[in-house]
Amino acid sequence: MSDLSRLAITSTFLRSFLIQGSWNYRTMLGTGFAFAMLPALRRIFGADPQALDASVRRHLDHFNAHPYLANVALGAALRLEAEGTDPQIVRRFKTAVRGPLGGLGDSLVWAAWLPTVSMASLVLWWLGLPVWVVVASFLVIYNAGHLSLRIWGFRAGLRDGHGVAQTLGDARLAQFAERLQSIAVLLVGLLCGLVLSGHPGPSGAGVIWLAVAAASFAVGLVVGHRVWRPAAVATVAAIALIATWGAVQ
Amino acid sequence: MELVLIALLGGTLALDATSVGQFMLSRPLVAGAITGWVVGDPVLGLTIGTLLELYLLVSFPSGGARFPEGTTATVVAVATASASTGPGALPIAVAIGLLWGQLGGFSTTALRKANGFIVPEPTDAQVGAARVATAHLGAMGLDFLRGALISGLGIAVGRVVIGRVASAWPLARADSFALVLVGAAVSLGILLHDLGGLRKRRTLFAAGLTLGIVGARFL
Repeated sequence: MSDLSRLAITSTFLRSFLIQGSWNYRTMLGTGFAFAMLPALRRIFGADPQALDASVRRHLDHFNAHPYLANVALGAALRLEAEGTDPQIVRRFKTAVRGPLGGLGDSLVWAAWLPTVSMASLVLWWLGLPVWVVVASFLVIYNAGHLSLRIWGFRAGLRDGHGVAQTLGDARLAQFAERLQSIAVLLVGLLCGLVLSGHPGPSGAGVIWLAVAAASFAVGLVVGHRVWRPAAVATVAAIALIATWGAVQ
Repeated sequence: MELVLIALLGGTLALDATSVGQFMLSRPLVAGAITGWVVGDPVLGLTIGTLLELYLLVSFPSGGARFPEGTTATVVAVATASASTGPGALPIAVAIGLLWGQLGGFSTTALRKANGFIVPEPTDAQVGAARVATAHLGAMGLDFLRGALISGLGIAVGRVVIGRVASAWPLARADSFALVLVGAAVSLGILLHDLGGLRKRRTLFAAGLTLGIVGARFL
């Protein structure tokens, strides 16, 4: 670790925000991972350009994870490289953690944190709060969690290196996601109540709209994701038909 | 000039969806308000952003998933709606936004395929640090151009369409808003399905619903 300056570590952390910049179906985050590692690798292998290029190529391999939790692997890889760990061990470590970091991140961030904060902000909008309050509260609350997760993950990886899997398990992120989902369900109910009985909402347009909206909600609840595209197509088609009808009147 | 400015905004916000940061500036709620400020009507921007956020609540940029792009959809919808004061501006803009979200999704998939040719091959012995940095930053530049082009094209098309049909829209504003909400209600149902459905958390949902209904009476 003595080879890594604070500047190199900070640069790598800042570059982690760009880790998905060249997302592709062949190596996924591979190039982004190597790009983020560059400041640290330059510090470690800078005196030997050939060793630097070889180390960069090693990190170009296929890698995928949730972009926020990819920092766990990034921090750990940084430590392993600084300690001169065998490249095959570094590669095996990255292969081993990419699945869990993807699944855990998706369930925590995309399936729990983002819906919870989005629902809270939508509730604020329905309550009639000013635009800047709704937008600022969404961005501040969401990114407080987002940045905390990135910083925690990077520091945990850097501190624990190869043993970061234990830290991930101890953090009980899956349980935290479950609790967040409970809050999100409460907020979905709250929003439904506001939409159904408040203004603006279908209740203002009459009981038929109210019944159709409730039926649409029930269809989504029962069928799930398969109905999203047909519902969007039906909405667009209905609007197009009404617009055409109005134009030819 | 305004079209170019909004197109550049679309490109910048689209970067946030995947390539840069993911601070969620690209979510419809935020992109709508920002575009609204640019066109001089933040309330309209947030209204459209809120509606599209409801539609796209269940669309996340996870892994290699193909998803409708909410950012360009929202930028296009808000810029389109701002060009008309007719009663149909809101529903027509949302419909155009939903269509453009699909186009944005296809363009994202195409970009990801193109990136596969841009990024260096790990087994190529000629590849070095400079080549990696150039490829990575170049791919981000392409993403910006993609977002700007999709936004600009969408606004140009949207403004032509809305100029022709928005003033003849036959429904009242309340009915128009309800029509858009009916479609959005499906997404809200899907979200609850994803969160475990009523079987798992029915008490919490019922508590929220009651609070919402009772709360609305006092607003």
